[in-house]
Amino acid sequence: MSSVLQSSALPQSAALRSFAAQWRSRSADPLSPLRERAMQRFLELGLPSSRDETWRYTNLRSLAAQSFVDAPRETGGAIEADAALSLLDERDGAASLLMVNGHPTMPPNDFINGIEINSIREISRIDPKLLRRYLEPLSDADNARWALLNTALFVDGLYLKVTARVTAPVVILHVATGDGTNSIAYPRVIIEAAPGSSATIIEHHVAHGEHTPLNNSTTHIALGRDAQLEHYRVFATDAGATHLDSLDIRQDRGSQCKQFTVVLGGGLVRATLDAHLDEPGASLDSNSLLVGHEDRHVDCVNIVTHGAPETRSTQTARAIASDASRVIFNSKVIVNAGAVHAQSQQSCRGLLLSPTAEIDTRPQLEIHADEVKCQHGATTGRLDPDMLFYMLSRGLDRDTAQSLLVYAFLADVLTGMSVASARAAIENALIAQLPDSPTLRKFR
Amino acid sequence: MLEIKDLSARVAGKDILKGVNLKVGAGEVHAIMGPNGSGKSTLAQVLAGREDYEVTGGSVTFEGLDLLALPAEERARAGLFLGFQYPVEIPGVNNVYLLKAALNAKRKAAGEPEVDAYDFLALIRQKMKLMHMSESFLTRGVNEGFSGGEKKRNEVLQMLVLEPKLAILDETDSGLDIDALKVVSAGVNSLRDPKRAVVLVTHYQRLLDYIVPDQVHVLSGGRILKSGDKSLAEELERRGYDWVLEPQVA
Repeated sequence: MSSVLQSSALPQSAALRSFAAQWRSRSADPLSPLRERAMQRFLELGLPSSRDETWRYTNLRSLAAQSFVDAPRETGGAIEADAALSLLDERDGAASLLMVNGHPTMPPNDFINGIEINSIREISRIDPKLLRRYLEPLSDADNARWALLNTALFVDGLYLKVTARVTAPVVILHVATGDGTNSIAYPRVIIEAAPGSSATIIEHHVAHGEHTPLNNSTTHIALGRDAQLEHYRVFATDAGATHLDSLDIRQDRGSQCKQFTVVLGGGLVRATLDAHLDEPGASLDSNSLLVGHEDRHVDCVNIVTHGAPETRSTQTARAIASDASRVIFNSKVIVNAGAVHAQSQQSCRGLLLSPTAEIDTRPQLEIHADEVKCQHGATTGRLDPDMLFYMLSRGLDRDTAQSLLVYAFLADVLTGMSVASARAAIENALIAQLPDSPTLRKFR
Repeated sequence: MLEIKDLSARVAGKDILKGVNLKVGAGEVHAIMGPNGSGKSTLAQVLAGREDYEVTGGSVTFEGLDLLALPAEERARAGLFLGFQYPVEIPGVNNVYLLKAALNAKRKAAGEPEVDAYDFLALIRQKMKLMHMSESFLTRGVNEGFSGGEKKRNEVLQMLVLEPKLAILDETDSGLDIDALKVVSAGVNSLRDPKRAVVLVTHYQRLLDYIVPDQVHVLSGGRILKSGDKSLAEELERRGYDWVLEPQVA
């Protein structure tokens, strides 16, 4: 496994050298040729810089001088499924799957709530072709490089196949935990929804212990014909953590996907969504709730490609930045030639709660087909003074009025969440990060 | 109850009010009429405490309080209510929630306990019936998707629930058809009593057929140019504003 380093010059930065060293330490598996190509491409692309289109606002230079080793496979202490870690309560009848630094902690070949569950390692042994379908083609778009690194270096992961109409949600609890070394984790998840099936799957990223590794996670979602999926990715790691997450969605004819990306924590969170609506009638609703506080940095990149007629997508983002935080939302809709009657709607609203916070939004449209209906809108501002005055003139005190407006700002995304307890837990966690959170709590 | 002395105010660097004098006693209904741009809405907003409207002179006393020294929320709790000309839509904030929070803010200021949830709902349903409002109001966001007429009825509904001492209604009649005008007027009239006062800002005399004022004032160029009884409104309807304004021009 050393051809990468034989065929190219030694990578320049300590980080790249350490990734190459990780690669050399991996033992061969049926995916090795594919992984090698991914590694090579990643090394060629190198770490992103501000010259890369989707990395303009996020600087990863501080990573370059660091060396990384694999994050541990187990936690230092027992993970207690306490309330703070749980998005769901018992009434939901949810099943929970635990991944520690990308390593699933369940027996292979399980079957819960009508969903077939396997480890990726097991699948690569029994059906490497199936995996290749998800790992290829290797994109070298600048927003996909971390997925390439994940493809090269992930050791294991979860493969979920939804085969029925499943009502109870499934939670994948991703725990990131370090042992004091400068480490990196490569969680990988594949969710496949068979034709006509439906499910709700929640990926919840949390940190455990004092040290949090650099997290480079990748999830694939494939929806079969007429399948329905509600998918959440919730980032709730600690303030010092860096998380680079890539989500890839492919949808077959008539399928419907409702996706929620919620950033509640993490020092630097970069979350990308790359969706392909390649068959007629496929429909995607993407929702993002991005909350920055303290000096956190949240960078969200959504690219939705309409590749077939009669496809529809919505992207709804609500960003709130307080203190000295920065929130970035880049969204792009591409309508390929032939995707007639495609419909898309991008709505991004930003709310600045402090003079030192920053929100950057950039909705883009690239249309190569006729007869399409694409709308986009982006606004960022402070609380609406007319709304505020209206409430003050009714006798509400300023804190209450402001908090109500902040809450209202988030409400239209929150109300779209159909898992009531997850919604309540997300609301709670969101509120905890906003100014005047004791006042906000009263509205619930 | 309300005494405005030589009030002047500026909006976006422009002097709009140039010495308004007005006295409203308990139990009275006053109508302020005047051509577009005369400062009627500015006066209403200044009294309610809009911050970006700069008061440049004069004083306002309300129930013995120095009104201009109070922030908007305290004016409201002291019993002043502004019915907005253009009520703002606040999606995501429920109508009932806002009303309940408003009523409780007022009760708290008066040292009274918070309203019981059940009693509150009963109260609001009773007032909704009076204002001919549909049940869906209860679940909707503040003014969200309301027609012009519904927004105005909602203003009056809020007024009825909050029972202010002084209600300033800024063109609450505009955009209403005759049936809605009757409903809104009945709502306002139901609040009339010897302890309360109402100031109606309006363009049209027709509102005054339903809510009969004690005094009518003509505001133009930031000043009150003429005051009289209800017959002044009728005369304005017949002759327009020019005859009032002319001496000013000359």
